[in-house]
Amino acid sequence: MQDFAFLRHVAIGQYLPGESLIHRLDARVKLTLVMALTIALVANTSYIANGVLFVICLGLIGAAGLPLRYVVGVLRPALPVLAFLALFQLLFLGDASVVTTAPRLVFWQWGPFNVTSSGVQLVVISLLRLIDLTVLATLLTNTTPMAYLAHGIEDMLKPFSRLGLPAHEISLVGVITLRFVPLLAEQLETIMKAQASRGANLGAGGRLCFVQNTRAVLVLIVPLFLDAFRRAEDLIVAMEARCYAGGKGRTRLTDLRMTPADAVILAAGLLCSAGLVALARRFPF
Amino acid sequence: MNTSTRVRKIVIAGVLAAISSLLGVTQLGFIPVPTAAGSATIMHIPAILGGIMEGPLVGAIVGLTFGVFSLISPAVPVKDPLVIVLPRLFIGITAWAVYIGLKRLNEIGALIVAAAVGTLTNTILVLGMAVLLKYIALPVAVSIAIMQGLPEVVVAAIIVVAVMLAWKGIEGRWLRRRSDL
Repeated sequence: MQDFAFLRHVAIGQYLPGESLIHRLDARVKLTLVMALTIALVANTSYIANGVLFVICLGLIGAAGLPLRYVVGVLRPALPVLAFLALFQLLFLGDASVVTTAPRLVFWQWGPFNVTSSGVQLVVISLLRLIDLTVLATLLTNTTPMAYLAHGIEDMLKPFSRLGLPAHEISLVGVITLRFVPLLAEQLETIMKAQASRGANLGAGGRLCFVQNTRAVLVLIVPLFLDAFRRAEDLIVAMEARCYAGGKGRTRLTDLRMTPADAVILAAGLLCSAGLVALARRFPF
Repeated sequence: MNTSTRVRKIVIAGVLAAISSLLGVTQLGFIPVPTAAGSATIMHIPAILGGIMEGPLVGAIVGLTFGVFSLISPAVPVKDPLVIVLPRLFIGITAWAVYIGLKRLNEIGALIVAAAVGTLTNTILVLGMAVLLKYIALPVAVSIAIMQGLPEVVVAAIIVVAVMLAWKGIEGRWLRRRSDL
C-alpha cells in the first residue's frame, strides 16, 4: 500500500491499438477462445498441462505484439498477498489432491503443519493459473475495442433472447463494468492519497491483524462506493437524456464478420482446450 | 428514491460489478486470515447493495460477477463453480427480500439485517456446498463459519449502513444541484 501509483496501471480494460493477428480476430472468436482456455485452466492440476497452457499464453502475448511487462504488471500490487497465501497453502494444505503419478512425498509433518509435494504442486499450479488467467483477461480487453467486445457478447447471447434473456442489456452491463474498472481504480488511488494525507492508517497491522486491516479497508471502501454511485447517476441521466430505449429494434454501425482465418484459429483453439480438458486426469506429472 | 427504470438497473448493476471486479483484481476484497478458506471477504457487499438498491435481478448479476472473480482469484483454494459461483447468486436476492420485508419497521435496522443475511447467505451456502461436495469436513466448516463469518457480518453491516445513509443524504443534494445548471 506504500506505493499509491500502482492502481493507475490496472491493465484490464484498457485498449491498446495495434495491427497484429490477435487484434484482427473476430471478437466472438476471442471471447469463445478465452472461455475455452479458462475452462481448460481450471480443470487441470498437473504440471504438464499447466506448462502447456503457460506457453500458449506467452505465445498469445507475442502474437498480439504486447509488452509482457505491461500485461503481467497488473499482478504486481497483489504480490505480498500472493506470497502470504502461497506460504499458507504450502504449510497447511498438504493434503491437496493434484493429478500426478509420482508418489506424495511428505517433507515435514508436525501438528497442523503439513508440507508435502502435493502442496508444492498446488502452489506452483495456483501461481501459473493466476498468471495465465490474468494474461487472457488483459489480452482480451487490450486487443478488442469496447464496441466490438459489446457486440460480440450481444451476438453470442442472441440465441438466448428467444427465451426472454435481454442480450443487449446484459452486454451493456458488461461494457459498463469494463469501462468503470480503470476509472474506479484511479479514484481509489486518489482516495488512498487523500486518506493517508489526513492521517489514516493504511497497510498497518501486517498480514495477520484482521481488525487493523479491516479498519484500513473501511476508510477506502465507503468513499469509493459513494463516488461510484455519483458516476452512475451521471451516466443514468446521460442515457435517459439521449432517449436510450433498450435493445429492441436497435441497429448497428459496425457488423462483426468471420473470416476464414477466424474459423481456423477458433477450431484450433477449441480442439486444444477440449483435448486438455478430456485428458485432465491422464497427465503423469 | 425514484422508481427503478431499466436504465437505472443496467447502470447500477454495471457499476457495482465494476467495484466487485476491482476488489477482486487488486486483492483488496480479500483480507487474509489463517483459515482453510484462505481469506475473509468484502466482495459480497456490492451484491448486497445491488439487491437492496435495485432488486433481486441486479443483486444476482453482481453476485455472479463476485463468484466468477473468486473462481479466478488465487486467494481461494477451491475451484469448483458449484461451490464458488452458484451460492453467490443468492446473496443479492436474500438481501433484497429481507430489506423489502423489514423496511417499514425501521430503515437502519432493515439495512443491518439485510447485510447480515446477505453475508450469512454467502458463508453458509458456500461452506454448505463445500461440505456437500466433500471439499472440507463439517467441523472445519463450522469453525470457519464462526471465526470468519461473524467478523464479515459486522464489517458488511457497517459498510452497508454507512454507504446507504450517506447516499440517501447525498443523492437529494446531488440531483438538486444538477438541476440548477
